[in-house]
Amino acid sequence: MEPLIGMGVLALMGAAATVAGASEDLESDVGSQSNPNSQVQLAPQMMYPHRIYNKAISGEPPSNALMCAIGGAVTSVLMTAFSMSILFAISIGALVAAVVHGSYCVTAYMGRTASQKRYKQPIYLDIIRSHVPVMIGYSFITTFCIIAIAYMMTAILDHPFPLTLLAFIWGITIGAIGSSTGDVHYGAEREFQNVEFGSGLNAANSGNIVRRAESGLRNGIDNSWFCAKFGGPVTGIAFGMTVFLSGWVTTVFDASISTAVGWMSVVAGVGIILLLILWNRRIEVSARNAYGPYKEEDDEEVAA
Amino acid sequence: MSAGGSGGSAGEAIPQNKLIVFGVVGGLVAVYLSYFLVSIAGSAFAFIGALGAICAIVWGCSAVRRVASYGLGTGVPSIGMLALGMGVVATMFGLAVGGIAGPVISLITAAIIGLVIGVLANKVLGMGIPIMEKSMTEIASAGSLAILGLSVTMTGTFMFDEVLTYVVATGYIAVIYITAGLAILHPFNANLGSDETQDRTLVTGFEKGAIAMLIAGIVAAVSNGAASTPTILIGLFIWYTAFTKYRELVARDAYDVVGTGLLPTEEELE
Repeated sequence: MEPLIGMGVLALMGAAATVAGASEDLESDVGSQSNPNSQVQLAPQMMYPHRIYNKAISGEPPSNALMCAIGGAVTSVLMTAFSMSILFAISIGALVAAVVHGSYCVTAYMGRTASQKRYKQPIYLDIIRSHVPVMIGYSFITTFCIIAIAYMMTAILDHPFPLTLLAFIWGITIGAIGSSTGDVHYGAEREFQNVEFGSGLNAANSGNIVRRAESGLRNGIDNSWFCAKFGGPVTGIAFGMTVFLSGWVTTVFDASISTAVGWMSVVAGVGIILLLILWNRRIEVSARNAYGPYKEEDDEEVAA
Repeated sequence: MSAGGSGGSAGEAIPQNKLIVFGVVGGLVAVYLSYFLVSIAGSAFAFIGALGAICAIVWGCSAVRRVASYGLGTGVPSIGMLALGMGVVATMFGLAVGGIAGPVISLITAAIIGLVIGVLANKVLGMGIPIMEKSMTEIASAGSLAILGLSVTMTGTFMFDEVLTYVVATGYIAVIYITAGLAILHPFNANLGSDETQDRTLVTGFEKGAIAMLIAGIVAAVSNGAASTPTILIGLFIWYTAFTKYRELVARDAYDVVGTGLLPTEEELE
């Protein structure tokens, strides 16, 4: 393949991945999925009932793998059995996946809240009506972008794996990256805006999440508004960079030219990782110095 | 901190042994019935395989519920993924060597792998959960039967060559893996909490199993051996029935179901 076409496809995949990463993180913030969910789940038990959407669909990697695999399978069926054009096939595939995801969201919220009877946490139906369409919308965007990436890999880059399997693998990947990158912003910052920045989660504060909003009672959509300013875009950039940089090293240093060039791609990959580690360390240190209390004597008291 | 409630066995109205019989017999009978009816009467009967998968899924989520109530917390998804991983390996092995006896060999292989993993978890990792060995055996077997049932619904047969061509090589095995896997582990995860009840969790299993059936029905459109429409329609019917029932049980179990409202007051909480 022409190197220029390879780079173009890579850039498109990186762009799709950036959008998918952002929408994936915001979807999990609306529903409080993944790591921050443990505090939302714990809050009623600690006498803090709330109006925040509480869902867990087995963690973000499996739930994103579910919607991407379903989307990929439906897309692939529509293209092979009904010879549908790729654009319509991806749209319908992503729609089916998003609706299935919506049903998982509803059972997760209703079930978990019903299981908190003794802590007197009511089920608010308006929360379901307002939040589930938002989550379906975000998961549609995520699934659409992921299937587009998987399709470009099979159709243009001639990847040996079938579309459904690639969508499944990318689903796990985006879930893992969304869970590790964006959740911190929601779980540590948004849920605990009532404590000093960087103070960690003291055991006494467990479950004491912020339940009142800028106006009225806080819900998941307020949280996604906050996270859309930083957590979501950062997740998008993280996932886009993962897709772009991991493809970039093998496109520039193509192993099919010679083995030596193949090894160059490994060296370039290691170089990028080292660079990112050093850069991350610098960001963390400067953030601590600029904002955090991080007093030496408090170190032992900081838990979790 | 485990938000999953106390360590200890979960309360159950339906004894686990009944659910084991329901899963094993229902799963195997449906897989064989589907296979023979498809070869005798036509591809429309492929949907029976998915009914067997639903039986296995309900059994599986009951087993997950029992083992996870020992305070596994976030380990619930891991255990389900592990189960389906064992299930895929066992199913492929069983179908490859077994021919017509393939499903039975798959089930036995899955049970053996599950038992070994359970023994490793307790003896080597030292998890110390009393029912670990039994539960891992059950979850792996249920995973294997669910994969078998959905494969039969997609292709109309469990002969290895067909399954390899239409399910594995096309990548649809990924969608079987994840829809069956989440159907087994999501019900307990979704109903996690101090006031979780067995019937509500199992009804969620039916509902998620019906979604797996629906997706298998869509994929069946690619294959010549299995009809798509009956599976989709019956899947939708089961989903609707189970979801209505689930909605009733939620209304029964919840503290309150309100259209909208403020938070409970301090007095109410005391």
